[in-house]
Order: sequence, then structure tokens, then C-alpha cells
Amino acid sequence: MSSSIILEGKNLKKTYELGRAKVQVLLNASLQVMQGEWVTILGSSGSGKSTILHLLGGLDRPDVDGGDVLFHGESVWTRSNKQINHYRNTQIGFVFQFYHLLPELTVLENTVLPAMIGSHSTSTSSAKDKATSLLEQFGLGHRLQHRPRELSGGERQRAAIARALVNEPSILLADEPTGNLDEETGNEILDVLAQLHQDGLTVVLVTHNVEIAAMGNRSVHLRHGAIEQPATLAQ
Amino acid sequence: MYQTLLTSRYLTSRVIPLIAVGAVALCVALVIVIVSVMSGFLNMVQSSGRTLMGDVIITYGISGIPHYEQLIQHLEKDEKVLAASPVVDGWGLLRMPYPDSEAKQSETVQVWGIDPSSFAKVTSFDESFQWETPTDNQRDWLLFDAITANKELLRSNMNDEEWNSLVEIISNASRTMNYESGSLWSDVQAILDVPLWNTVLGSDERLTNSDALLEQGLTLSQNGRDGIVSGLHVSEGNVRQKDGTYQVIRNDFWWLPRYEGTLTMLPVDSQGGIIEPESTILPFVNEFQSGVFMIDESRVFVPIRVSQQLLHLDEAEIIDEDDPTVVLGIDPARATSIIIRGSEDISAESLQSRIVQMYDAFIAQLPSDTIVFPPMRNDPGLSIHTWEEQQRSFTGPIEKERELMRTLFSIVYLVVAALILSIFWSIVFEKTRDIGILRSIGASRGSIVWIFLQYSLVVGVIGSGLGLFFGWLITKNINAIHSGMGNPPLSVAIGAFVITGCIAIYTIMKSREGQLLPVVLGSLGLITSGGLGALILFIRHIGGLVVWDASVYYFAIIPNEVDWPSSIVTVLGAILFCLLGAIIPAAKAADTDPVKALRHE
Ligand SMILES: Nc1ncnc2c1ncn2[C@@H]1O[C@H](COP(=O)(O)OP(=O)(O)OP(=O)(O)O)[C@@H](O)[C@H]1O
Ligand SMILES: [Mg+2]
Repeated sequence: MSSSIILEGKNLKKTYELGRAKVQVLLNASLQVMQGEWVTILGSSGSGKSTILHLLGGLDRPDVDGGDVLFHGESVWTRSNKQINHYRNTQIGFVFQFYHLLPELTVLENTVLPAMIGSHSTSTSSAKDKATSLLEQFGLGHRLQHRPRELSGGERQRAAIARALVNEPSILLADEPTGNLDEETGNEILDVLAQLHQDGLTVVLVTHNVEIAAMGNRSVHLRHGAIEQPATLAQ
Repeated sequence: MYQTLLTSRYLTSRVIPLIAVGAVALCVALVIVIVSVMSGFLNMVQSSGRTLMGDVIITYGISGIPHYEQLIQHLEKDEKVLAASPVVDGWGLLRMPYPDSEAKQSETVQVWGIDPSSFAKVTSFDESFQWETPTDNQRDWLLFDAITANKELLRSNMNDEEWNSLVEIISNASRTMNYESGSLWSDVQAILDVPLWNTVLGSDERLTNSDALLEQGLTLSQNGRDGIVSGLHVSEGNVRQKDGTYQVIRNDFWWLPRYEGTLTMLPVDSQGGIIEPESTILPFVNEFQSGVFMIDESRVFVPIRVSQQLLHLDEAEIIDEDDPTVVLGIDPARATSIIIRGSEDISAESLQSRIVQMYDAFIAQLPSDTIVFPPMRNDPGLSIHTWEEQQRSFTGPIEKERELMRTLFSIVYLVVAALILSIFWSIVFEKTRDIGILRSIGASRGSIVWIFLQYSLVVGVIGSGLGLFFGWLITKNINAIHSGMGNPPLSVAIGAFVITGCIAIYTIMKSREGQLLPVVLGSLGLITSGGLGALILFIRHIGGLVVWDASVYYFAIIPNEVDWPSSIVTVLGAILFCLLGAIIPAAKAADTDPVKALRHE
């Protein structure tokens, strides 16, 4: 396993403003993710796990002078909006607790969507092939033309993972992907992620479940707005 | 492009875009119908103003303009003057042929004495006649009249047997023809020998010459006698039908060209005092319809010399007061107005200023020994007006109405804009989470705005296209719709009650299944269709409604031409409002933080 740092959160600060009150969610959170690694971020509810994931994934901006995210050593948050969109589109795959599939599109269309967004004119047929093979790989080959609402939770989450992977991102950011599923289905999803990790994908997974954390190479704790160091290396 | 995929899915998988399309179509159709009727109305005023009284009118009230013939010649020398025509007008009483009893009814009429040939050049008098050739039924009535008029002649040339059968035919016809067309023509022809038949036919030109009726109208004369042409609504015998045509009551019995009328006018002396009324009997030669109700209900045309005589405005000798045998000179005939038509390339206003100059030049060149001078321009009684100024009292209320409509319009437009904005606001609001999802997978703000722009463009184009279509359909059929509304057919009421029954059954069935929404909707439908049926029965019960009353709105029919320029502006405006209505909430949505958008429930 290569030991180069693919993604790094450096001294991240994030404050939410609720009217006049300010909620300081991240005070000084730093995290390094190695290429090919599976890192689990553990923390209690409301500790800011989702927030740090959003900052890492280019979805939410840290405070002014609130640190930065480095991707392959290069700053993300000093980039232009267009470049950040591109970063989200090509380098990051998001998986959410509530799947977040678009209800009007079929499973296949949902899966192809990031490819369509990324490519402005190149043929979508290769993207469609890619999406189809991903969905088949996740056991959804017979569900391509179904609407998300016709699928079970586990199937939806698998479709969401397929969508996250269609542009072959460098990193998968998963925010409690099993949080909305029963244990058995959750384990199926985790198996899928484990397989992907086996094949070389870098995974950052957020959970408050210690058992799930055991599946990764390494887990860190988010507490009081910071990542507790040093990380306990599993196994 | 992924936006197109999303747009088409958003459009086809929800009801709300249908509602939006419907709302846009409704508003566009509404605006188009109102604009078209309004501008059609104004066009009718405009064109009827010109066709009825030319472009510029010189008027000198009661005592009239002397030397008007030379003045007209003088005016017609100008290249911008197409034609000028004298008018002698005044109020009069017209004794009508009806009712059947001895006591006849009189109508107050506005008498225009005209010179028909030049008058037709200034106005469209020649195109306004109601009767061109008599129908077979009208011709039968004319034959009936001709036989009655020639009865002595016929009696003396027929044997008793023939005479008796003719009397029987005529007395039968006098009863049956009041309600149905008969075979009077062939029946009479069968009895009379050829010379006698020809004599009868020869007594009225209209029996043999199908153009005579129109010609008599055009020349205001009948067999060398002066005739009268009256507005279609002067006679109470003409009844407007639903389809806009006219029927003469009692199956053409009261067809005015069968009769004569007595016209009485009040002449005024040079001091403005009233002299003995003057009367004359004139045959009705035709009737005209200008389309302007106010005119059609009161105006009659007679030859100019008739009204000059009745008003004492004809040529007269000026007699020495001390010695009635000494003639001092000739007081020339007068016209109370001269109406002038300008060429197409000149506006009424610039024609007016030319006429003013020419009028001054005309007076200046009259020989100094002229006995009677036309009024000077500073005479307060003299006016040289454009038709618009002349008809202020007529167009004034319409312009007020137009102002009111303009104000109402801006409100309609605002309502349309607000409606579209709120619909799109709710559409975009509902899609906020989708926007967050799209942002999380790399979509840019701009591309998200484009989704909703496309969406609104489709809604706007389809909606306003449908609106244009329905606006056109309604405008074209507005008169039929109006008369249908005024007197709705019973079948619609029956239809409404049948639908009410169906809805009632459906509602009862659904209520047994314990579902609430169908019951609520069913009850609403029940009330609507039942109410509609009841309303129709009520309208029929009170004898119909008149929404567009010809006597109030001047015109006998509602304008039904689509005003295309305004309609296209409306369509483009609606599309623009759709775009605006979508771009504001869409930009707002694209601006929201994607994380917040994702949390949106
Ligand atoms: N947009 C926002 N405005 C205000 N406060 C926010 C906003 N987003 C998050 N927060 C607050 O920030 C804190 C951290 O939120 P975050 O979603 O990162 O927690 P989390 O660790 O993912 O919790 P959970 O395990 O419940 O998902 C919470 O207290 C939350 O209320
Ligand atoms: Mg969370």
C-alpha cells in the first residue's frame, strides 16, 4: 500500500450561524487520508462528522481563515467555483444516509447523471455502459428502468454507490451509509464498500457505530470539534 | 445535456406543470380576447367615423353655407381632397306606415339631405344598403301592392270569373302571406293574360328589374319621385336575429320599401324663429346599416333639395319689403355642412388645416358685389372640424372606456406575473433538495438555473401557444358565445343536470369506500354543474340576458377580429414572465448552500 497522502484536512474550522447564535462545529480538525486507505470517522450525533465530510468533499466551505483541504497536496478551497464543481464531480464520490437519488429519474439515469454533468458533449453511451455494469455488479441489473421509490432501502443505497462511482473518483465519502438500513442490509452495503476498498478505492466513512469502524484500516474520533490524535490503528 | 433530461422528467411526472400551463393559457387567452374586442371596437369607431362623415366637416349651423357648390368646386381643386359633398341636416318627424290602425306612429329622425353621388364618394354610403335585390317573398308583396294599386284597371279588363278568382287569390294571400311564403307570383300570372300581366309588372320597376331596389337607394328616387333611405333601426319592423341578420316581422309585411312615409321638419327664419312646419310624402326606397347603432336608429337620407325645401334653405328671391314686385336679387341655396374626404396619404388634422386656408381663400376671391357672403371664419357658428372633433360626444365615452381598460390590463398583467411567479416559486421550492443533490455531484449553479429556465420556457411556450389558440377561438366566435350566453340552449342545462347526476352517483359510491378527497371534489363538482344548470334555467326563465347591448355599445355586433400585434406581444410577455418567474426562485435556489439544500425536506 502506497503511503502518499491523497486527501488532507488542515486545521479546519466551521461555524454555523443560527440567527445571532454561533455554533462552532469544527474548531481545529485535521485529518490525513492515505491513498487506498479506509478511514472511519467516529463521533457522537451532532459532533460535526457530516460537516467535516462536506468540507473534505468540496461541498461546504470552511470558515474564512478556517484551514483548507488539500487534494494531492493542492489546495481545494482556493480554487474557482468551476474547479470545485469539477473536483466534486470527478474526484469525489458522495454516499449519503438518505441515498439522495432524484425521484423523477430511473435508477440508470440517476447513476449516469454525474457522467452527464461532467462531460459536456462526449457520448453518454460509454457512461451508460459503465453505469449499467456498476449496477449489475451491485445486483441491480434488473432494476435499471425503475424509479427510486420502487426500490428497497438497500437497493437505493447500492444505486447511490453506483452513482458515486460512475466517474471513477479517487475517494468515496460515505456519510452513515447504513444509518437508515436494518443490520443485515447494512452489512450488505458494507460488504460492497469493503470489496471496493479491496479493489483500491480510498474510503472515508462516517459513523457512530464502533462495530462498523472496525471494518476500516483506521478510525479516528471527532470530539469537541477536533480529530483526536493519535488514531488507533485497527488490527 | 442532463438538464434537458431533468426538465422533461419534471414536466411529465407532475401535475403542477399542467396547472402552470393551464394558468398561463387562461391568462393569455383572457388578455387576447379583451385586447382584441377592445381594439376591434376602437377600429370600428375609427372606421365608421370616417365612412359615415368623411375626414373633415365644415358646418354652419342652422342658416347654412351659401354658395356651397362653388366652395365644393374650389375645395376639389386641391389634390389632397378626393371629394366633397354638401349636407343639409336637421331633426324631423317621420310618420311610419305602422301600426295597422289609422293612428300611425312617428319616429324622431335626424334628416340628412344629401347629393347621393358625391356623398357616396366621401362616405361609404353606396356600400351600406340593407336591400340589394328583393327576395321572392318581398317580390310577392310588391306584386300584391301592384295589384291592389291597379285594381280598377284589372277589373275593367277581366271577365267576372277571372276577376273572382283573382279576388280570392288576393284575399287568401293577404292572410297567409303574413306568416308563410306562397305562390302568389305564379297564381296571378296564370290568371292574367300577357298584356295585363305586363301592365301590372310595369307599374313597379322592382318587379322586373332586380337591380332597381339598389339603384333607387343609390339615387334616392323612385319613378322620378324623391325617395327616403332610413337607418335599419328606425323602423320597428326590422328585428335582429341571433346570427346578426335581420328579419322583417309578419313575414316581410312591414318591409319598409313597400311603403311611403311623411317627413315633417321645422324651418327656422333668419332671426332663428320657427316658421310653420313643412311636410312631404316620400316613398321608402331602401334601408341602410352603418353598424353604429346610434346612427342606424335615427338617421334618414333624403335628396338635398327635399331637406332644403323643408327647412327653407333652398334658393329664393330677395324681394323689396316696400314693393313685393321688385326682386332685389337671389338668395342662394344653402348647405348646413360640407363633408370632405382626403386622400389616403393625408391625416385628418393636416387636411383640416388645408381646408381652413382654402376656405379663407374662397371667401377672398368672391366678387365684391356678392349679395350673400358665406360666414367668415371668425363667426362662432362656423366650425371646420375633423370627424374626431365633430364626434367628440360619440368617441369621448369610448376613450374613457379605453383608459379604464388600460388600467385593468396592467392589473391583469400583474396578476399573470404574480401567478406564474408563485407557481414557479413552489416548483423550485419543492425541488430544493434535488438542487442540493445535483450540486453534490458536481453540477454548477448556472446549469441548475438553466434546468428551470428550460422548464419555464416550455411551460411558457406551450401555455401561451394554447392561450393564443383559445383566445383566437373565443374571439372568432364571440358573437355566437354571447348569444348563447344571453339565451342558453336547454340542451346545455339538461347536459349539466345529467353530469350532476353522474357526479352524484360517483360521489355516493366513493363515500361508501370511505375516501374523503373524491367526496370533497365530487361535492364541489355537484354544486358547480348543478348551479350551472339552474343558472341556465333561470336565465331562460327571465327571457335571456343581454350582455352586449347594441344600444349601449353603438355597434350591432361584438368585434371578432383578433388583434395580432397585441396578441403576439401578450404571448411574448407571458413567456418572458414565465422566464422571470422561474429565474428568480431558481437563482435563489442555486445560491443556497448545497448542504442546506440537501437537508431540505
Ligand atoms: N446549516 C446549519 N445551520 C446551523 N447549524 C448547523 C447546520 N448544519 C449543521 N449544524 C449543526 O452543526 C452540528 C454538527 O452537524 P453535523 O450534521 O455535522 O453533525 P453529525 O455529527 O453529522 O451528526 P449526526 O450523527 O446526527 O449526523 C449540529 O449541532 C448541527 O445542529
Ligand atoms: Mg451527520
